[in-house]
Amino acid sequence: MPEQLLGDITKFLPEITLTVMFLVAICADLMFRKSPQIVAGITLTGLILSGAFVLNQSGMNESIFGNMIAVDPFAVFFKVIILMSAIFVIVFSLSSVELQTASRRLGEYYSLLGGLALGMMLMAGASNLLMMYLAIELSSVSSYILAGFTKEAPDSSEASLKYVIYGGLSSGLMLYGISIIYGLTGSLDIYEINHVLAQGSVSGSALAIAGILTLVGFGYKISAVPFHFWTPDVYEGSPITITAFLSVASKAGGFAVMIRFFKGVFIDPSATHLPEGMWASLSGFEWYHVVAAISVVTMTLGNLVALWQDNMKRLLAYSSIAHAGYMLMGVVVLSNEGLAAILVYFMVYLFMNLGAFYIVMVIANKTGSEDVEDYKGIGKRAPFLGVALTVFLISLTGLPPTAGFIGKLYLFAALLNSGWIWLAIVGALNSVISLYYYAKVLRNMYLRSEASEKKTEMIDIPRVQVATVLVLLVPVIALGLYFTPLVEMAQASVKMFGSP
Amino acid sequence: MEFSFLGIGILSWITFLPIVGMVIVLMMPKDQRDAIRWASLTITALQVVLAFILWQNFDKGLAGINTISGMQFVEKASWIDIKSVAWFGRVHIEYLVGIDGLSVTMVMLTALISFVATISSWNIEKSVKGYFALFLLLDTGMMGVFVSLDFFLFYVFWEVMLLPMYFLIGVWGGPRREYAAIKFFLYTLFGSVLMLLAMIALYFSVNVYIDANGSILSVAQAMAQGTEGLEKIYTFNILAMMDPGNFAPDSLLAGVNTAWRYIAYVGLFVGFAIKIPSFPFHTWLPDAHVEAPTPISVILAGVLLKMGTYGLLRISFPIFPDAMHHYAWGLALLGVISMVYGALVAMAQTDFKKLIAYSSVSHMGVVTLGMASMNTQGMTGAVFQMFNHGTITAMLFLIVGVIYDRAHTRGLNDFGGLMNQMPKYSAIMVVAFFAALGLPGLSGFVSEAFSLIGAFQTFQTLTIIAAITIVLTAGYMLWTLQRVFLGSIPEKWKNLTDVNNRELIMLVPLAVIVIFLGIYPSPVLDLMNSSMNHLAGLVQEASTAAMLGVR
Amino acid sequence: MLTEFGRVFIFLILGVVFVAGGLVFSWLIRPNRPYPSKLTTYECGEEPIGDTRVRFNIRFYVVALIFLIFDVEVVFLFPWATVFKGLGWFAFFEMMVFLVILFVGYAYVWRKGDLDWDRPTPKVPKYERGIGVREDHLMEEEVAL
Repeated sequence: MPEQLLGDITKFLPEITLTVMFLVAICADLMFRKSPQIVAGITLTGLILSGAFVLNQSGMNESIFGNMIAVDPFAVFFKVIILMSAIFVIVFSLSSVELQTASRRLGEYYSLLGGLALGMMLMAGASNLLMMYLAIELSSVSSYILAGFTKEAPDSSEASLKYVIYGGLSSGLMLYGISIIYGLTGSLDIYEINHVLAQGSVSGSALAIAGILTLVGFGYKISAVPFHFWTPDVYEGSPITITAFLSVASKAGGFAVMIRFFKGVFIDPSATHLPEGMWASLSGFEWYHVVAAISVVTMTLGNLVALWQDNMKRLLAYSSIAHAGYMLMGVVVLSNEGLAAILVYFMVYLFMNLGAFYIVMVIANKTGSEDVEDYKGIGKRAPFLGVALTVFLISLTGLPPTAGFIGKLYLFAALLNSGWIWLAIVGALNSVISLYYYAKVLRNMYLRSEASEKKTEMIDIPRVQVATVLVLLVPVIALGLYFTPLVEMAQASVKMFGSP
Repeated sequence: MEFSFLGIGILSWITFLPIVGMVIVLMMPKDQRDAIRWASLTITALQVVLAFILWQNFDKGLAGINTISGMQFVEKASWIDIKSVAWFGRVHIEYLVGIDGLSVTMVMLTALISFVATISSWNIEKSVKGYFALFLLLDTGMMGVFVSLDFFLFYVFWEVMLLPMYFLIGVWGGPRREYAAIKFFLYTLFGSVLMLLAMIALYFSVNVYIDANGSILSVAQAMAQGTEGLEKIYTFNILAMMDPGNFAPDSLLAGVNTAWRYIAYVGLFVGFAIKIPSFPFHTWLPDAHVEAPTPISVILAGVLLKMGTYGLLRISFPIFPDAMHHYAWGLALLGVISMVYGALVAMAQTDFKKLIAYSSVSHMGVVTLGMASMNTQGMTGAVFQMFNHGTITAMLFLIVGVIYDRAHTRGLNDFGGLMNQMPKYSAIMVVAFFAALGLPGLSGFVSEAFSLIGAFQTFQTLTIIAAITIVLTAGYMLWTLQRVFLGSIPEKWKNLTDVNNRELIMLVPLAVIVIFLGIYPSPVLDLMNSSMNHLAGLVQEASTAAMLGVR
Repeated sequence: MLTEFGRVFIFLILGVVFVAGGLVFSWLIRPNRPYPSKLTTYECGEEPIGDTRVRFNIRFYVVALIFLIFDVEVVFLFPWATVFKGLGWFAFFEMMVFLVILFVGYAYVWRKGDLDWDRPTPKVPKYERGIGVREDHLMEEEVAL
């Protein structure tokens, strides 16, 4: 038994690294109060080290700690996404002006970012309902604190409080769902639950209720409608770096745990593959209808409400709700193709969304405003930022030759190939709607110019920030023109431990 | 004879030269306005030279359309090649370009119109660098659409064009430019997402075999040769999609006259019809035309509208001949409605540009009607009309631009008696107007006549109704001519100057082409003749077979 | 046949019946003598004044939270102690890791000053006697009025 555990620990190195990093960062924060950069450095080192261990796990397909955590290509992919976005966000934070208002507590900020990343990484691998719940809570608690980090700003405190209340409610409901599942099947291990369900003796309606209640928890994490109410306020109130992180990594974690839950619990393992990589699902809970409905509502509502937003953060918040809806279309299919499409989309989304948020931050650093109205004339005042933001927004719309198009292409392909044609049409029409509000930003940047004289001087940005933007911008275009590596990586990562 | 330079074929050069130009322009300092203009002009002039080389070396005997051997100047390279996994086949997307009789005219038109529009852009003063960079990007997009033989590539080029167009209208346009730009953007994107879905559906329906060297074999070829060492893949290859034998038997779009085939056809049609623009989808056009700066109007009318009809001929018809046949009458009806409606609305306009915009709707209706006829005359007429409409409408917009630059108004009723004030200008304008109304001896007549003759064989009643348009067109054109040129000149226009040399350089070549093709249309007709014959035969054959229920 | 949940259901019903039964029964047998004092909160002459929701000092919450965290985590030591013999050094190191983490948390809380009960230092207003300044107690009376 101990030998087994010791062996498992070697496969748990990325998480252990992050934990140690977290502790060291806390201690460093206590020792070097004056220079939070040291803590940032420690966190960054920890994340990169952990990333190296994660990459070392590629190809592994095992379950550790008695089926508590799976170390499989699927988890590795999401861990890479989470770590990459964490690294980007720390780099962003170093140049954020907004965070300087709370410079005394910046050490805490960086160490908590590490803790948040740890929670999300556990979400990516969790294969036991209890572990899933704990991982979600770990990341949620860190997010609550980080959302309210600039506590001098009233918005930020409001964001944090709202986040706690919604989070508390939805995790309560989720826990209730988990307890019903436990009551029905007598296990918390998704593989065992699947085994019990496969025998077909479990009441369908109770299972459906439990499934939907559990879905509330996941839906909250990925901000799917109708569990999205916290999203705009939290995204607007939080420091923009945290908003960027939540919109990418938190969604990644949420999707990872949700997909593993559905796939682990509801897919019939005894059935052989259906054609085109589809899986036979167990009867009892027709979850894909529920997910399809949520997906349609999520993207439509996200896009429609985004039309009226005049704050960039809020606009991107609703746009990220819509993107969660697009990705949920992949969960509806949940064949290998659907999964690969989600993974492709996530990798692309990482670059384009972080890029958009970063530029909003850089502009806010200089102009002190996140209003879409204040973007008038930005195209002239900061040509590089203007072009970069244009590319990111176009990619978010899903137009070629940007990577966003490839993401959408794969999603639609997965849907059409498995017969969800109406859903594909809804998704396609939604991307037309989304164009309108993205174009609104473009319009203000280029088509309108600021009338007042004082707002016409050029905005200078430091070289480092230009380089950061370029690191995000180049993949968005390059992956749009040549997506072979991206798709190959995604296709290799759909394998999940214990699933057909 | 191999047409390549630095190992890159002529079609790639003609397509990507503007991108090279864009990079050069972007690297130039902002205040070197004239250098930027000259650089852009050089690039577009080079395109014209390349187009001329293409025209000179084009083999008129080869039909193309659905055979790769009939395509000319073909370039092929593996672009995306994702190795196969157990549950998902190999993804193989080719960079495949080539031209046949259908596309060569369009390539020539694009090069010509881009060149003329660059000259016309000379007096753009607002952020010159940005303007020409976007202009050149747009140029690549247009050229790419006409040379791609792979649907994926086609789609990428199709969409690449949207963003520059949005900015060109939105930044450099008239007072309501924001509205016009976003309307254009939304309409076109709406059409193209439907096209995207149809494209994906086609992708999953068409199977071909690929050998170790990466060459594509149709199912029939593979069966003949034995499938040893071959891999079965899905494909975006437009030519492979035209072979009904390549459709996988249980796929969504297999068979003939099935509901899904109709739906896919309609999806594609909406995408293309918005670009044409055909009757119910035309409302973006007047706004875009009126607000766009002159050179962009020229591009829009001269090239962009052609992409819709080109798409129908290149993609919709040969891939879905059964659906095309099924909807042919509807298509012709839309064409006739566009013709009559466009002409009637044009008659009511007092804005010069709006008048020409609606006349475009009317003229593109002729194209739609011509191609719906499914016979050689109609289709040849349609493609020739695309070419002629490109040159004639470009001239008309340039003419409006010339007068607008001087008078800063486009109100038709504001003018009068310009004939004596601006004689050279008036001469050119008369040529353009008479060409537009289809006067024999000018190019517009030939193509309209061909289209209507073709259409009459298939849809007699509709064509008779359509013929009314000729009278209507003559009506509004002549009335306009009278309002602007005849009568006495208002006092305030007494100091208007005649066309200058720059304007002559852009107008005269177009006028010469219009007159020349009116008298002797063979140089262009010969180019497309065999292709159109082949296409008409293909569509007819396939649709007859479909009607009889034979594959 | 009774499932596990069936038993729970019976338990639930019994619970409801027990509470409701008690209330109903006492209502039946008790004498009914109402007088106004019975309606006061404490029925003992003490008049409650002000809101029942009193704001505690925020520091109480901090202490409560810290106590809860450390108390609950120490509970983990008990099951460990019972199986320690069987697991040996491995369990020892595992627990040491746990305790180190706990200790870091403790040090963090300490260093951040959350254990310090820094008393509020209210500024006592000072009044100087003189012309135009009234006696303190007079002022307080006025405020009370």
